[in-house]
Amino acid sequence: MADITQVSPAPRERSRGAGLGTGRRRPLNRRAAKAWLYLLPAVIFYASFAIWPALNTFYLSFLNWDGVQPPSWAGLGNYVQIVQDPALYNSVLNALLLIVFFSFIPVCMGLLMTALLMGRMRRGMAFFRTVLFLPQVLPLVAVGVTWRWLYNETGLFNQFLELIGLGGITRAWLGDYDLALIALGFIGTWTMSGLCMLLFLSGAQKIDPALYEAATLDGAGAFRQFRSVTVPGVRREITIAGVITTIAALASFDLVFVTTNGGPADQTTVPALLVYRLAFNEGDIGTASALAITLTALVIGFVTLIRRLARENA
Amino acid sequence: MSIRTHATRISAVGVAMFVLAGCVTAGSDDGDDQEDPQTVSDEITDEEVTLRLAYTDDPPAQALVEGFEDQYPNVTIETAQTDFGNYITSITRSMSSDDAPDIAQYNPGAMRSLVPAGHVLELGGYSELYGWEGAFPPASLEQLMSDDDAQQFGTGGLYAVPGGLSVLGVYYNRPMLEEAGVDEVPSTLAEFSEAMEAVAETGERPLSLGGLEVGALHLWNAVLNSVGPAQDYLDWVYGAPDSSIETDAAAEATEIIAEWVEAGYISEGSNATSDADALADFTAGNAAFHATGNWAAATVADEMGDDAGFFVLPGADAGSVPVASGSSVAYSISSATEHPDVAAAFLDYMNSPEAAEIQIETGFMPVNTEADVATDGLLGDIAESFAPVAENDNIVPFPDFAAPGMIDRLTAGLQGIISGRTTTEDYLSSLQEVWTSHHG
Repeated sequence: MADITQVSPAPRERSRGAGLGTGRRRPLNRRAAKAWLYLLPAVIFYASFAIWPALNTFYLSFLNWDGVQPPSWAGLGNYVQIVQDPALYNSVLNALLLIVFFSFIPVCMGLLMTALLMGRMRRGMAFFRTVLFLPQVLPLVAVGVTWRWLYNETGLFNQFLELIGLGGITRAWLGDYDLALIALGFIGTWTMSGLCMLLFLSGAQKIDPALYEAATLDGAGAFRQFRSVTVPGVRREITIAGVITTIAALASFDLVFVTTNGGPADQTTVPALLVYRLAFNEGDIGTASALAITLTALVIGFVTLIRRLARENA
Repeated sequence: MSIRTHATRISAVGVAMFVLAGCVTAGSDDGDDQEDPQTVSDEITDEEVTLRLAYTDDPPAQALVEGFEDQYPNVTIETAQTDFGNYITSITRSMSSDDAPDIAQYNPGAMRSLVPAGHVLELGGYSELYGWEGAFPPASLEQLMSDDDAQQFGTGGLYAVPGGLSVLGVYYNRPMLEEAGVDEVPSTLAEFSEAMEAVAETGERPLSLGGLEVGALHLWNAVLNSVGPAQDYLDWVYGAPDSSIETDAAAEATEIIAEWVEAGYISEGSNATSDADALADFTAGNAAFHATGNWAAATVADEMGDDAGFFVLPGADAGSVPVASGSSVAYSISSATEHPDVAAAFLDYMNSPEAAEIQIETGFMPVNTEADVATDGLLGDIAESFAPVAENDNIVPFPDFAAPGMIDRLTAGLQGIISGRTTTEDYLSSLQEVWTSHHG
């Protein structure tokens, strides 16, 4: 399978080459102009609601500003403040731990479900897909509130534990000092696994059946086929799933805000939650913006890392 | 498709984060709209006047507006309600815009920055003209005063007037207490503790508490009011120079909460319980006590009827007049309004007997403490226990008023106390740290 980083430049070069080779620049320009006309609404929308606010946030991160009074120039002061704040380190560590639950486990779960659903189980596939993809469609706020009830002292989760004779370990999971972050993480696992599965299934369906036949003739069992045919076949999808879910983990806000709001005692704070608090509870727009920029840099760093790893393994 | 999705996803999420902080735009106006002190008058024009009022708490806002319009038929007040979360994030923007509402519900946290920028009218002139100082409970006005920089409260100019008071206390389940052999409402803090012990001995849960949101800080605040000298606390909340929360009283209040956790009156699971769930738990009869304000009275009365009662947490000694945290739904006037006299008349209306009736009907304590408001049941219970607090001017503000971001420290700190992982010293010093970073 070709690596995604190598796939994309090829068509672009080809089209550029064709344009130059024929020397007929005018029609192309007109075509390009027409294309831009179609793109214009999207470009305007994207520029005004995405690029402009992003640049503006970058600018704000260099100001001391409470949102009302005239701002003053802070230089790198806000960034220095962030680096010196121990609360930030904890929140970043929490976000990193969440990557395990939002990204690593869901990718494994997705692969497992793909393996189970790929082979003979064609009937009922639509049902499984719908059910497992459902968490993706639900608003995270509703997901969070529901899970808070499931996890509470008398909630369904504890009822189940009592049923199987584990009544001794029941507790309000999201209120437990040591376990709240893990409990929160599993909500993410539940939310993300279906997405991974759906991506992998769609990838796996594009694999040439002849490869499986060849593998069978070579005497490969189900596990060997999965390892040598299915997994390499969905490499691109694994990278995409890894990137999407890692971003979800690092930028998680709504789930944390609704379920624990960073508690108990800051055990589940994440950087995005601190951005919100700085901006809206403390009225410190400058530091909030600086933290948002830092978080973005962190996300870009992680995404680059994942893509590089994927390329090296190709 | 992959690379496109890939790139789009990355930028979409990255952008979402930008937008999170970037939904605000740096204003370039220097903000000082306040002109020279204008002449104030209690004469109201008889021409048609339309005012706009922005608010979040209804009741009582809408009922008060209607009451005022009945008295002044030439005045129309257009109201715009916004839910609390959006109100506190947007009110600073709308009050500093060119199109500011004439009257706005006051929020001390959110509107702190509007005072130094001059967007809120200073009401000293009207206060003198109408004699507000003698007419409203002084403590209720004090909370709405601040210096020009909005650093220190309880002093300086008056920036809002209360339109209904709220008070923090304890609801109880009458049958559960009878079952536990508790015949009388506690008259000291120790008796309250004993009552919880008696309930615990019957195998029932003494207290329902929402530690996820503000429930725990309400309880801590009530205990602190009970054990400590009110003045130290007031100085700290108002930001008086050199004041501190690292006091013996605050340490004692925190230790008491920790003891209640130890004794099992408060469960660690409280940390994952929202205020609404804790209240629902109490009204469902799963706990004997629940500490919250009179804003929950309607819900409690609906669910429990005569089974529910209310008291303000008593002092450490029998016979001492209790101190209770309370706040108000208060209204400010924009310095950009074209009809300040009419707006001030609306504020003055808050203190009238007619308004008092509306305030109590909508679940608040009247600002006119002399108003004769007859109620019975739970609301009567609340009015009765509130009366001595108001008459002795023992209403104090909530602790999160002390500095921006204080609410997050209070919540997290008390979650640590309930988990048994944070020491009293660490908790109080974390509060003081936030205080110092704001007040210097």
